[in-house]
Amino acid sequence: MTTLGLGLPRMHKEAGERRDFLPGILRAVADLDVRVVVEHGAGSAMGYTDADYFAVGPSVTIGSNAEAFAQDVVLTLRAPDRLDVMRPGAVLVSMLHFPTRPMRVARLLEFRLDAISLDLLTDDLGERLVVDGRDVAWNGLEAAFDVLERHWPEFAEPTRPPIRVTILGAGAIGKDAVEAATKYGNLDRAGRLAHLPGVEVTTIGRNLTGSAGYMKDRFSATDVLVDATQRRIPSHPVVPNTWLAYLPEHAVVCDLVVDPYLPHESPPTVRGIEGIPQGDLDRWAFAPDDPAWDDVLHEVDRTNRRWVVSCYSWPGVHPHECMELYGGQLAPLLRALLQAGGARGLTADGEFLERALWRASLRTWVGLHTVAV
Amino acid sequence: MGDRSARRDASALVLGLPRMHMEAGERRDFLPDVVTAADRAGAAAIVLEHGYGTGMGVPPEAYLAASPVARFAAYDEVMSSDVVAVIRCPAEPAMRAMRPGALLLTMLHYATRPRRTRLVAELGLRAISFDSVVDDLGRRQVEYLEAVGWNGVRLAFREIARVHPHFAHPSRRPLRVTCLGAGAVGAHAVRAATRYGDHDLRAELAANDVPGVEVTVADFDLTSHEDYLLGRLEMTDLLIDATQRLDPTRPVVRNPWIAALPPDAVLLDLAVDPYDFSIDPPRTKGIEGVPHGDLDRYVFAVDDAAWSELDGRVDTRERRLALSCYAWPGLEPLDCMRVYGRQIEPVLGVVLRVPVDRLDVDSTDPQERAVARAELGRWLS
Repeated sequence: MTTLGLGLPRMHKEAGERRDFLPGILRAVADLDVRVVVEHGAGSAMGYTDADYFAVGPSVTIGSNAEAFAQDVVLTLRAPDRLDVMRPGAVLVSMLHFPTRPMRVARLLEFRLDAISLDLLTDDLGERLVVDGRDVAWNGLEAAFDVLERHWPEFAEPTRPPIRVTILGAGAIGKDAVEAATKYGNLDRAGRLAHLPGVEVTTIGRNLTGSAGYMKDRFSATDVLVDATQRRIPSHPVVPNTWLAYLPEHAVVCDLVVDPYLPHESPPTVRGIEGIPQGDLDRWAFAPDDPAWDDVLHEVDRTNRRWVVSCYSWPGVHPHECMELYGGQLAPLLRALLQAGGARGLTADGEFLERALWRASLRTWVGLHTVAV
Repeated sequence: MGDRSARRDASALVLGLPRMHMEAGERRDFLPDVVTAADRAGAAAIVLEHGYGTGMGVPPEAYLAASPVARFAAYDEVMSSDVVAVIRCPAEPAMRAMRPGALLLTMLHYATRPRRTRLVAELGLRAISFDSVVDDLGRRQVEYLEAVGWNGVRLAFREIARVHPHFAHPSRRPLRVTCLGAGAVGAHAVRAATRYGDHDLRAELAANDVPGVEVTVADFDLTSHEDYLLGRLEMTDLLIDATQRLDPTRPVVRNPWIAALPPDAVLLDLAVDPYDFSIDPPRTKGIEGVPHGDLDRYVFAVDDAAWSELDGRVDTRERRLALSCYAWPGLEPLDCMRVYGRQIEPVLGVVLRVPVDRLDVDSTDPQERAVARAELGRWLS
């Protein structure tokens, strides 16, 4: 069998995007008959050098972005902007979101690529195998409490009552947000404040969020409001902008969902909490007088404002922890993919890792869905 | 399957799957998928105890169809296999019947069962504790804490629905749940509680505009404040113990504090810590006085004899309807074993392929590393 090539190109997104796969993931494939090309400078924003990757084994070489993309299997966390740099028949392993990115699927097919979508890797019971929901919650709550601690004088007062956090939504992210909130989003801070009354966290689902009277009372007793909802109808906000007026002036809004404003979609998508700005890895905290509020679409009501923390990619706030997690989750799957000789070698009735890869492959997705090319 | 059996080599191992022989309500056995997985992993034979799966309505033919090397045998023969896999740890006599050098795969809980751990070693057995199989980030690979939260919460709401006069009426206020503890079990309990532990019930009530459930979590930095906790209890319809106490000799909710709860409130014990007066100081439950349940008996009315049957040193004067079960996931055995089966498949894949003496915590295979961390010898050293 011909030796497979595995490429690890860098992402080249916004300046704050510091993530690359760490050398550890390569150790999982070091004993396989695979040659690895890592793009020069990978991991440098997290303190790694080319030598750290090179040290994994003799099969690892350092190359250019083009050389990394020219391999049989290409691994990169966020979907690349260009696909024409890959070879026909190669496999792209990335967060590809087939269900919500039909144009991307069409382009993958146009370039005759195979693909494994990391967000579709699930076990037989539907649980995602490569996911960092925990860091979405912890990093978002950490940012919210950073703001609260900086701007609310009572925060560290020994006589203050418990801090009150309201979480909208009890799905996977809401579940992680509960624990993060009880620890001020940061274990060191929780230790430092252990002498104070802690954090009371209240979670409500959609069978309460629709009740305006209830929500008015709840908001008035909320110091941190967390949006962790999964809306059925994304064209309607869960929290109309007028409700933000019920929050105390010092309150912080923590946006973990980070739905975009998409006014031209049909139906249009609006944010879960109406009027708030959307952040990214370059900037995620917005004061009530931040100009970012004025950049929100003019037809959206942004009259009522509080401090907001919002980031399109919360896990990337702490890149090393994030990539350690993804690397650990992905390592056995990457190994199984390479052992199978790529996506073509996957079958629906193989061992459990192979089954997971098969379900997440482009060829399976295309086989199950009508795709316009 | 024929091809797989032809590939088996002389070193292939025999896997034994015994039944659990616990309380009558314990109906769980691994499903035929596990037999398929063991066959795929190269087991020389898969020996199941007579009656395996019958508690869940799985016929013997389903197991035999899962592998050409599967067969049924008596308990003693099953326990004499090279590898024995069972969820709850067998009783001491059964372990003594195993062959020295054989491998036991079960929930051994090394840290909290030191006497049993020593016994396994003294018998010359090798062991992998399912609860110690963790990935590189320390996350358990064989667990079903979700079922702990959901099964307990669902049954608790059934009891609330039974006694609450306006449970399904649109005019009632939101129900208030207080969850003590924000760890893994608590997180599942919160999610379950916002949905009454029952998706169908939630949909039905929502369709009738019945207000939902407000779930408040208090961790130890709040529960240690007596005034706060008593105020919280006064407005609680369902109190959940999902704590992981650093000091199991001290309850989170002392028995007299239960009096602060409304008379119709319900207590739900998900932590299921036992009372233990054989050690000094004695260990107690997180909510003092709640009876300790199992799969045969898990709902305790205030006049249930179980309260009085507790050791006399446990204060049980204040009571509310309580639910407690040592094995919450076992209440839905099929669902539970479907999940455990999927989770142990990679464990079987490792132990049937790699001799236990050669398990390597630095292996390039992440699954082997996870299994190696759970090996008894590593724990003892």
